[in-house]
Amino acid sequence: MWDNLISGAIAALTAANLASLVFGTFVGIVVGILPGIGPMVGMVMLLPFTFALAPDVALSLLLGVFCGGYFGGAVPAILMRTPGVPSSLVTSFDGFPLTQKGEAQTALSAALLGSFGGGIISVIILVFLAPLLAHVAANFGPPEYFAAGLFGVTLVVMANRDRMMQGILLLGLGLWFSTVGIDGATLSPRFNFGTLSLQNGLDIVPVCLGLFGVGQTLLLVERKILKTDQMNLTRSTLDFSKLWGTLRYWKTLIKSGVIGTFVGLLPGTGSILASFLSYEAAKRSSKRPQDFGQGTPEGCLASEAGNNAVPAGAMIPLLTLGIPGDALSAVLLGVFTINGIYPGPLLLVKEPVLINTLYCSIFMINIAAFLMLAFWLKPFAMIVRIPATLLAVNIMLISVVGIYAVNTRIFDAAVAVFMGVLGYILLRLKWPVVSLVMGVVLGEILETRLRESLSIGEGNPLIFFTRPISLALIILTILIVAIPLYKDRRRTTIERKPT
Amino acid sequence: MNQETKAQSRVHDLLSASLGAFAAFCLITSPWNVDTEGPDPFYKGPLIFPIMVLSMMVLAALPACRRLFSPADGSSWRLDGGGYPRKTLMVLGLLIGMLAGLNLIGLEVCALAFLSVSLYIGLNLIGLEVCALAFLSVSLYILGHRGPFKLIVLPLVMTGLIVLIFKHFLGVFFPTPLIAEWIWE
Repeated sequence: MWDNLISGAIAALTAANLASLVFGTFVGIVVGILPGIGPMVGMVMLLPFTFALAPDVALSLLLGVFCGGYFGGAVPAILMRTPGVPSSLVTSFDGFPLTQKGEAQTALSAALLGSFGGGIISVIILVFLAPLLAHVAANFGPPEYFAAGLFGVTLVVMANRDRMMQGILLLGLGLWFSTVGIDGATLSPRFNFGTLSLQNGLDIVPVCLGLFGVGQTLLLVERKILKTDQMNLTRSTLDFSKLWGTLRYWKTLIKSGVIGTFVGLLPGTGSILASFLSYEAAKRSSKRPQDFGQGTPEGCLASEAGNNAVPAGAMIPLLTLGIPGDALSAVLLGVFTINGIYPGPLLLVKEPVLINTLYCSIFMINIAAFLMLAFWLKPFAMIVRIPATLLAVNIMLISVVGIYAVNTRIFDAAVAVFMGVLGYILLRLKWPVVSLVMGVVLGEILETRLRESLSIGEGNPLIFFTRPISLALIILTILIVAIPLYKDRRRTTIERKPT
Repeated sequence: MNQETKAQSRVHDLLSASLGAFAAFCLITSPWNVDTEGPDPFYKGPLIFPIMVLSMMVLAALPACRRLFSPADGSSWRLDGGGYPRKTLMVLGLLIGMLAGLNLIGLEVCALAFLSVSLYIGLNLIGLEVCALAFLSVSLYILGHRGPFKLIVLPLVMTGLIVLIFKHFLGVFFPTPLIAEWIWE
């Protein structure tokens, strides 16, 4: 293990990898700071450029955006009560009151320390937990993989259970998209409606790029310029004396980092839940819970440690099972598969250096993001003054030209624009777009494993119930659907009862 | 479920029903849209998964269809008060125009570029360069940006960067615009 870790560290320290992760982190912080854009847009925008890069360098670039985005999101949340990424909303609960009291530097120090600590703790957990999970996953056959995939997509749908039917519809649409084109097993054309262009199917890259790179930016076109009058930073760098002061919350930091990692591990739960759970846990165990919501650095630290632990946590199911936990890791899965690398339990055995390079890269990304924000705090904070519309059209252009560049096919760019329109409609209606992405990504895995399982069982679906791991996963899937629905029903019945 | 108790815009139901109708259409036509002539039994064949997925979509759309035809009291078509997305549609139109310009002739997009930016455009620039430039300039104008920096300098810099990165650094092939071919011929 240590040999591989050292080899990974050496690979991560190459000039190409370092340049890639620093650039990715820079882009991540910028898109994280800009409300309404976020790391997903940054990742899909850079995706076409990754095809010219080695897999480890490409993944470092995108991981930089992934982690950097969460670092950046806290800045506008604290200074303007406008979270750059949704999960930073929780940071604003205490961050903005601190800014109003003239203690923006304290809030920013706590948030940065939280982000840094959460990121580092999650990498350590990733290094030790991934091999353990891979060991368990080595016993998986097609029925277990299908059951795990089903569990993943069900969690995604249930994470947005106030929009459950819409989530199912979008999941179905995504799964259907994955069936378009030539079927790999039988070479039969499916749903190409007589067109040659659709025979290759709908690739994940134009779909994701369209939904987020174009769809999200079309939404930005209607936005007004943010008011930045309240932004009041006393100095252009972080006040390091405040940073040492926040170190006394080290227990909260560790606890929040662990919570964030395990929330990230569960598919579909997302960084908002990680932030919120970490914040609530910190509040419960605090000596001064009454300060939470009034402006305590501990709240900022807990929330940021929670959400910044999510990226490394989300890497665990991705690397060991090949199942992405969210849309961001789905994009990473796309990079793996495009480079002919298939995540799963054997990946840790087959590609130990690559995996350890990724671990070291995430570690260094956290350091890079911390240093960048600590030394260029004010210049980064000023980015919010750039009009959103100016950015939107530029991102759209790069996305569309970038997607054409991948296969030099105008059809792919047209797919991206079509998905952009769909993405715009869905985002405007606040439908859970993540279900659609998960459907596209997991469609092929689910279908292949389903057909393989049925082949083993000679067409008998009972195969899923006769193997212990598969059965356990199916029972878990049923429980995560049944329990919340039962609770909702009970609550509704109580509310309807006349008092 | 929460969504059934809340009176939400009927637009949601319309979209759900449309997706359900699309799924039903694909489900009905799937025997013709999927080649099932192979020797595999049904459970190994290419049709089993699409049928499962499309059926799930149809079932998920049924509550929305019911609400669409018998709406609850107080439900309306009002969405979010965000208004008609006029600017978004214009930018989207330009984006589609840019794609068409990139593939076909670039003439319309060139015309837009000449209208918005009075620049001397050499023959070798027509294609990706003009499309990108026109898209940026006109979009920014539509979105209310004024002044030479935002309408000329920024689109020029951005276009230059895109050409440099995609054409020269990544070596991506872009189709020769037909207008250029006509003139050369």
